[in-house]
Amino acid sequence: MPGTKNILLNKKNSVLLKFLIGAAALLFFLAILNFFNAGIKNVFYILSSPIEKTFWSAGESASGFLSSLSNAGFLSKENESLKNENQKLLSEIVYLQAITNANQAQSEASLACQNASFEMLMAGVVGSDSQDMLSINKGSNDGILEGMPVINQQNVLFGKIFKVYKNFSEVMLISNKNSVINVEIQQSDATKPEIEGVVKGKGGLDIYLDLIPIDDTISQNDVLITSALEGTFPKNLLVGKIVKVEKNDQNPHQQAEVQPFFNISADNLFVITNYKK
Amino acid sequence: MWLKAIAIIFLFYFFAILQNSFFIHFNLFGAVPDLVFTLFLLLIFFAGKKINYTILFYALVSGLFLDIFSYTYLGVSVILLIAIGYLAKKTQLSLSERGDKYPFVYFVSLFIVSFAVYSLFLGLFFYFMGLAPSPIDFSLEFLFKIIYSLFLASILFWIYKKFMGGATDNRQLPLFKR
Repeated sequence: MPGTKNILLNKKNSVLLKFLIGAAALLFFLAILNFFNAGIKNVFYILSSPIEKTFWSAGESASGFLSSLSNAGFLSKENESLKNENQKLLSEIVYLQAITNANQAQSEASLACQNASFEMLMAGVVGSDSQDMLSINKGSNDGILEGMPVINQQNVLFGKIFKVYKNFSEVMLISNKNSVINVEIQQSDATKPEIEGVVKGKGGLDIYLDLIPIDDTISQNDVLITSALEGTFPKNLLVGKIVKVEKNDQNPHQQAEVQPFFNISADNLFVITNYKK
Repeated sequence: MWLKAIAIIFLFYFFAILQNSFFIHFNLFGAVPDLVFTLFLLLIFFAGKKINYTILFYALVSGLFLDIFSYTYLGVSVILLIAIGYLAKKTQLSLSERGDKYPFVYFVSLFIVSFAVYSLFLGLFFYFMGLAPSPIDFSLEFLFKIIYSLFLASILFWIYKKFMGGATDNRQLPLFKR
């Protein structure tokens, strides 16, 4: 009997030993892999980007087709061009208001016009993951650095460069849960005091406005633009539009649901390469 | 055996690309289905009883693809999927066997619990690495992600059962020698 017990114990020990060796080997293998993390991801990007781009375009066309079917009577292209035009007009309003303000204070002129002097690098969107990140086809080989702002041609803010690889980069969208940006409410009357707050990412392509003092008046359809306070993004980039204001007496600040202006289906984006922090 | 392994690697790769490109345009309130996890659980569910190495293989391939196409470290999903894979299979086997060896209700229950556990631990990892502001996030997006993934998993379940169901378990060629 003691012999049988010993055999059983030995068998148990041998299974445990096998498990421990296996676990150690796996952890060692994964640790080694992480030494080459950037290289491995870059190789996979190079291999996958043509297929990914094809699926990205196919998805874009298919979703456009389906949305045009579901919105009978509306042409999706017309809708898209109207959206673009709207964003362009909003961008012009922001620009013109900035110029108006510049007449009042000479020092603001440089800020208002600074977007025109930015060096921008066009990058194609090739994919996204579910954590509110986008992959673009420009990397350190093209001069991309972490933290660079990413916008579209209508001056709509998408986010900033989060991670740079040799041939591609990951863009953290403003809807990412780690994203916090300083914004101001666009005022139609230049004499009114500026209202500043922060836009935080909620995940799932959603954002919200926070830290607006309870006494300030904000309302639906107010447009949010970047304030350049934190120095990551230039001033006057379009962020979003207030959908619903949420006031709570127990909270010294008011919040608001915001509809972001960025559209995940964008084909090309622009990276601002010379904005100094 | 090798052909099957290669086919599975390509299938995981294809699903990873699909979920990171095509399905982004079909997001439901920002939620995109996790096709790689869905395929992983489906394969585990329909695999036989003695599949220790097979689970390891599936977890390694699917976990690596999940990590490569996200901004996390390589291996996080691998470790989580190994644990989830073994636990899910153990749970499935411990449930009483009915006439139908692969009941849909078992699959749905296992899928929901496994997906929640996977998301929870991944969230914890992101939090401790400073990549997420809060450890647990059972938001509306998460709910939609489960529903969306479950919907596609159900379709894949019926397809698999209809076309491959007869080849499961005993009559299936094993991926690795038992």
